Amino acid sequence: MKITSLEDLENIARKGLKKLNPDNKVRISVGFATCGISVGGDDVFKTFKEKIYERKLNNLELCKTGCIGFCGEEPLVNIKMPGKSIVVLHRVTPNDVDDILQKIENETYEFHKAFFKIDDWDHVTSKIHYGDGYENIPKWNEIKFFKPTKRVVLRNSGIINPEDIDEYIAVGGYRSLYKVIKSMTPDEIIEEVKKSGLRGRGGAGFPTGLKWEFAKKEQSDVKYVICNADEGDPGAYMNRNEMESDPHMIIEGMIIGAYATGATEGIIYIRAEYPLAVERFKKAINDAKKYGLLGEKILGSNFNFDIIVTEGAGAFVCGEETALIASVEGEIGRPRLKPPYPAQKGLWGKPTNINNVETWSNVPVIIAKGGDWFSKLGTQKSPGTKVFSLVGKVKNVGLVEVELGTTIDRIVNYIGNDGVNNGKIKAVQTGGPSGGCIPENLFNTPIDYEHLAAVGSIMGSGGIVVMDDDTCMVDTAKYFLDFSIDESCGKCVSCREGLKHMHDILDDITKGKATFEDIDTLKELAQTVKVTSLCGLGKTASNPVLTTLKYFYKEYEEHVKHKRCFARVCKDLIRYVIAKDECTGCTICAKRCPVNAINGEKGKPHIISQNVCVKCGICYDVCKFNSVKKLSEAIGGEK
Amino acid sequence: MTEYVNIYINGRKYEAKNGEMLLSVARRNGIYVPSLCYEEALGAYGSCRMCIVEVIAGEQKGITTSCSLACTKDLKVETDTQEIIKHRKILIELYLAQAPNSEKIRELANKYGVKNTRFKRKIEKKDPLDNKCILCGLCVRTCNELIGRGVINFINRGYKTKVNTPYFESSEICMGCKACLEVCPTDAITITDKGDTRILSSWSNTTVKMEKCIGCGKFSVPEPIRKKMDSKFFYEDEVLKNLCPDCRKKLITKKVTLISEKKVEQYVK
Repeated sequence: MKITSLEDLENIARKGLKKLNPDNKVRISVGFATCGISVGGDDVFKTFKEKIYERKLNNLELCKTGCIGFCGEEPLVNIKMPGKSIVVLHRVTPNDVDDILQKIENETYEFHKAFFKIDDWDHVTSKIHYGDGYENIPKWNEIKFFKPTKRVVLRNSGIINPEDIDEYIAVGGYRSLYKVIKSMTPDEIIEEVKKSGLRGRGGAGFPTGLKWEFAKKEQSDVKYVICNADEGDPGAYMNRNEMESDPHMIIEGMIIGAYATGATEGIIYIRAEYPLAVERFKKAINDAKKYGLLGEKILGSNFNFDIIVTEGAGAFVCGEETALIASVEGEIGRPRLKPPYPAQKGLWGKPTNINNVETWSNVPVIIAKGGDWFSKLGTQKSPGTKVFSLVGKVKNVGLVEVELGTTIDRIVNYIGNDGVNNGKIKAVQTGGPSGGCIPENLFNTPIDYEHLAAVGSIMGSGGIVVMDDDTCMVDTAKYFLDFSIDESCGKCVSCREGLKHMHDILDDITKGKATFEDIDTLKELAQTVKVTSLCGLGKTASNPVLTTLKYFYKEYEEHVKHKRCFARVCKDLIRYVIAKDECTGCTICAKRCPVNAINGEKGKPHIISQNVCVKCGICYDVCKFNSVKKLSEAIGGEK
Repeated sequence: MTEYVNIYINGRKYEAKNGEMLLSVARRNGIYVPSLCYEEALGAYGSCRMCIVEVIAGEQKGITTSCSLACTKDLKVETDTQEIIKHRKILIELYLAQAPNSEKIRELANKYGVKNTRFKRKIEKKDPLDNKCILCGLCVRTCNELIGRGVINFINRGYKTKVNTPYFESSEICMGCKACLEVCPTDAITITDKGDTRILSSWSNTTVKMEKCIGCGKFSVPEPIRKKMDSKFFYEDEVLKNLCPDCRKKLITKKVTLISEKKVEQYVK
């Protein structure tokens, strides 16, 4: 069936709402994004399926949903009884399934793994009241993890079934597309996007409306729009989740963008490491085609537009737009010189507009609610919200979407709920290998494009890695550099050779072989690489080094001067010893030592021979009495 | 019609075509801007980073490569500020470490007073490019874009990048034209002629058969090139086809006096 009128759309919306919020059925949805699956969500789903069949529960609907964002508590299962709120259960295992189904059958609603409930939900493009009840369970926005968040991009994640286009339409989806095709000119759309102040969410923060305007201005028979889904920062996975949880919002955004810029073909460039997102996109595109939302004569108009999915081979540099274009063309994924910009000469030499997944996700909202509404979110210069993946040494890990301008402290200490094991948080690293490390004393920095740049970091695609006292900052800089070296395409000398030599110097530092002159060389080289590199990868790859040098110089100094690693991470600067009076002589360490470096009689204190020890740390991990100590002492008698 | 604009390099006024790359303007006017990867016939590529200049007034303010800097009205650049020299020196140090055997790089280093490199030298035994290659990409681009053969390309990526034939196997499509050798800024490529064979030892010992000049008997033209020329050119005199450039020159001069083909052959013998 092809949708041509608002009535068609409303009919499908009614059908979708019956699935999403059934009034005569129980709906169980299992969090089925990659994060949920990896901790056993698929087993839970399978068990539900089997048990429902066994119990012959006909009045029950089982479906998949995306991830609501609280990845640390997965697998999450949503239970929706007719007329009642959605109850979200956390850390569900296959063993819980029987109990849950039993309670549903008995209509007693005391689920022991109940985490929070959802009574009202603002899908932004519509509001839905799901139901009431469950006085004892906290509301979703009373939970610390969700309280400061503002969900615009993640408006449907974890609620709707991403594989069902009807449910997306039920929550107000494709209304914006209908609006632009039936009542707006391309210029009006661009004006609205400009008014919203939306900036590119891939990291650089270029104004989206302006980018569209450049692409529209170009005269050409063929134009392209591309969705950059080549997310590759270590520790960042928000785009993956957005694609897996709500693919239609991205597709809708792309169709609107294509209509505004006059593009006829769309490409979703996605890394092959995201098979589930690829699969969901392909299904979503097919479904949209069946409804006449993609393909020829969209919504009965004269506008034709089609999207294809192109899989990348996982090169980080292909997230850079000119390298991405080269990769789509079948060339080596190496950046090209700009100008000419892709808006002038992009894919196959034609005008091309490239935006990040999250940028596209915001477009339907801007059309639905207006540019003014959007510009009031966040700060004046960086309007809107941003999804961050909060990972590392905090208690609550997951995806958080907050208004831009929220401070680091609020995200890390409030949403993240402080460090794990009561460890003191030392720094956060934003923006992945292109970002910098921000020390704890700067945690009142608001997160937006300008403020992060001022402290030497970048927003990047939105990764936030939290580090505590167990993290060595020199080692961290080395780690990110390692990544950048592997991902450097090798085209320009600064990035190809410069990063390698920076890594060599850092390696010497972590081994206690470097001098203060080496640190100066490192600094000089890092600056040259930053200024002279060809593309964004090289220009930003020194950030982890430069910021750690700036904020954690003391750690560098310790490594060089005293050959000591505060965090006891750098292998060459630590040694393992057994405390004589604490050792019970249980022999476990000696048995587990892979190189037989530990000697001693049963019941008597053991000794580690330092010249045999390979510092693997197994003895430290297996000792039940904490008598194996990891030491990093100052060499030269100084403390 | 070409539009001309005034631009300023190091404070002096020059005339440039609108949209022309700054590096060409500088070269035309004898202003020295070092560059290793720029070749006018191929256009800007931006891999060597040596031609950086500082834009004082214009669209892309700050430090940028002059090979990709389009001249617009009243563009003002400085080519040798302290900062630029500092960065160039470090880049030269990187090159000295990457291509320690290259005479050309050492000359460049001398020019900038760089005596040594602080970085670990990359020396490989049996490097087909004799530890002289700086991966500027000129040979690859010339072979692919100008000659249209695609004999060599980049292998691996990042600091493991190398230039050679696919799978390091000797090439069957190489014409032996030596264009790669001509464009190489560091003289890294070795090609030798031995008897009737041209050996491209840098490119996995690719060999190309040479053709004998019927005049002097020297092996002068690679066979594949001859065949290609045969199909593309029309020779007024068939004899010219089989002569080396030197003999061809001599012949054409002589031809003015020796008209009959017989006499020509006589001369040739």
